[in-house]
Amino acid sequence: MSRATDWLARRTLNERLALLAVALGLGALAVGDVEARGKVTLDTRELARIVEGEVDHVTPEELADWMIAGRADYRLVDLRAEEDFAAYHLPGAERRAIAGLEQAGLGRDERIILYSAEGIHSAQAWMLLKAHRYPAVYILLGGLAGWQEHVLYPLEPAPDAPIAERAAFARAGEIARHFGGAPRPWSDSGSAPAALAPPRPTSPAVAAPVAPPTGAKPGAKRKKEGC
Amino acid sequence: MSMPLYKLGAFGDEASLVVAFLIGIGFGFFLEQAGFGSAKKLTDQFYFRDLAVFRVMFTAIVTAMLGLFWLGWAGVVDLSLVYVSTTYLAPQIVGGLLLGVGFTVGGYCPGTSVVAVATGKLDALFFLGGTFLGILAIGVAWPAVEGFAHSTDLGRLTLPEVLHLPFGAVVFLVVLMALGGFWGAGALERRLGGKGEEEP
Amino acid sequence: MTTPSDAAPAAVRRAPAPYMNPYLAGIGLGLVLLASYLVMGRGLGASGAFSSACAVAVGAVAPAHAAGNPFWQDYLQAGVGHPLKEWLVFEVLGVLAGGFLSGVLARRVRATVEKGPRISTGGRFALALAGGALMGIGAKLARGCTSGQALSGGAVLSAGSWAFMLMVFAGAYGAAWFLRRQWR
Repeated sequence: MSRATDWLARRTLNERLALLAVALGLGALAVGDVEARGKVTLDTRELARIVEGEVDHVTPEELADWMIAGRADYRLVDLRAEEDFAAYHLPGAERRAIAGLEQAGLGRDERIILYSAEGIHSAQAWMLLKAHRYPAVYILLGGLAGWQEHVLYPLEPAPDAPIAERAAFARAGEIARHFGGAPRPWSDSGSAPAALAPPRPTSPAVAAPVAPPTGAKPGAKRKKEGC
Repeated sequence: MSMPLYKLGAFGDEASLVVAFLIGIGFGFFLEQAGFGSAKKLTDQFYFRDLAVFRVMFTAIVTAMLGLFWLGWAGVVDLSLVYVSTTYLAPQIVGGLLLGVGFTVGGYCPGTSVVAVATGKLDALFFLGGTFLGILAIGVAWPAVEGFAHSTDLGRLTLPEVLHLPFGAVVFLVVLMALGGFWGAGALERRLGGKGEEEP
Repeated sequence: MTTPSDAAPAAVRRAPAPYMNPYLAGIGLGLVLLASYLVMGRGLGASGAFSSACAVAVGAVAPAHAAGNPFWQDYLQAGVGHPLKEWLVFEVLGVLAGGFLSGVLARRVRATVEKGPRISTGGRFALALAGGALMGIGAKLARGCTSGQALSGGAVLSAGSWAFMLMVFAGAYGAAWFLRRQWR
């Protein structure tokens, strides 16, 4: 033992550094791979805080405003079956299956908005991506049904509603027509919304909202990281 | 998993610029300490007179690589969030050759020329001017070279994937290669560079 | 910033300090690089900052050309609100400061022209200019220079960065024979 320490004491600084490197390198060889594939970690308290705070939601109206403002700083992911996607999907959406979603080419540095028919699948996919440490995943509130009800076919407020609410409805009607829908008159309030509109209809342009809901600038490119 | 701090939202874009300046100070400090503010010292590498460029560069690579490997293993840093520069093989080979020739001709590379300017080397100012001219030229000619610059796009490709070896095995090989290189560097300096004695 | 008058007296009094042990300097550099990866998730760089500056200059002089050119646009749209408020630009400003700090501490800050005995000052300037131009072209083709590609990409074992690194040494050694009189 003392001979070993003696020997070590006689090494120069460079030799000791080399020995350290060899030891760490040999250790690396023994460890092999750092992360086993498919193994994920969940911070349950952090997740519960996000769920309770409902900070991970995007309302259909917010999303519609983002689209009209031409924002490109998010990825919109449709989790429904391929036939449903082909029949109708939100403008700019891309379809992904929930299985293997964490390997479906979504970046961890991107804002990802998930939607499904109503919301259960997107909530499950949200959990999956969170477990794989995607920091910015959002759920479209109410899913496609919510989009249909609040953006495509918004219901006219009751005749006795406050003036402000009725004024806001005029803009909602413009937005609905922009996305190929139409506002529903108050008399329709008992019935369900009509069938879904065809994708991407030609429609009168809507003025962009004065300021986008959050700070990112419209059409911002992904950040450069290379040299 | 609390790192990389920035990617996990620990601070914003404005603060990242302060971090950039601080990291730059460290970078510049060690480049200058290593002697890389001197074109003579840098180009001595290519005449086997002084292989400091090789020594410093590979020690830095080995240090950062071992640090990332072990901190990734300990769960401190999420390696999947660490940026790995994309491989575009053909433009990287041609660009590397041009850059190497430019290194010998001009005596610096972009980072070291900044350090050289900071310590008063007037030739480094001309080198910097040349770098601007080169970037200007390729920017203006970009429509013509864009196709080539985007060719052979292999994505985020790493050596463990190319060699079909575990990450740790490649780490070990790089350590061995570096140490073997350091051991051989002294011999090369004595035999080819006409140097009397080995580095301390 | 480095006029002879403020640096020379110190240099006259005492000789410059010797350079650091290359392995210790390498470990220092490696720890800075590691810190960059741990804090930012990205490596070091240099040439990108020059591209940002170049793009801003082109945008000011020839806005029409810059608007139609994706190369300049890429840099003009980067940054935190302004193309020069960009990570690499601030990092390179730090390199300038760090290099100066180290130079002052080691008494190496002096306005000089580094050249071999057989070459004129003008010749050295011309070679530096030409080398810089080659470097600028090569760095943009390869998407990075010795800092961004070889050092940073090398540490994360990027395949392209290692190919790049080999080619830099190949190119530099290949050219060395033709330029052997520059420093002797």
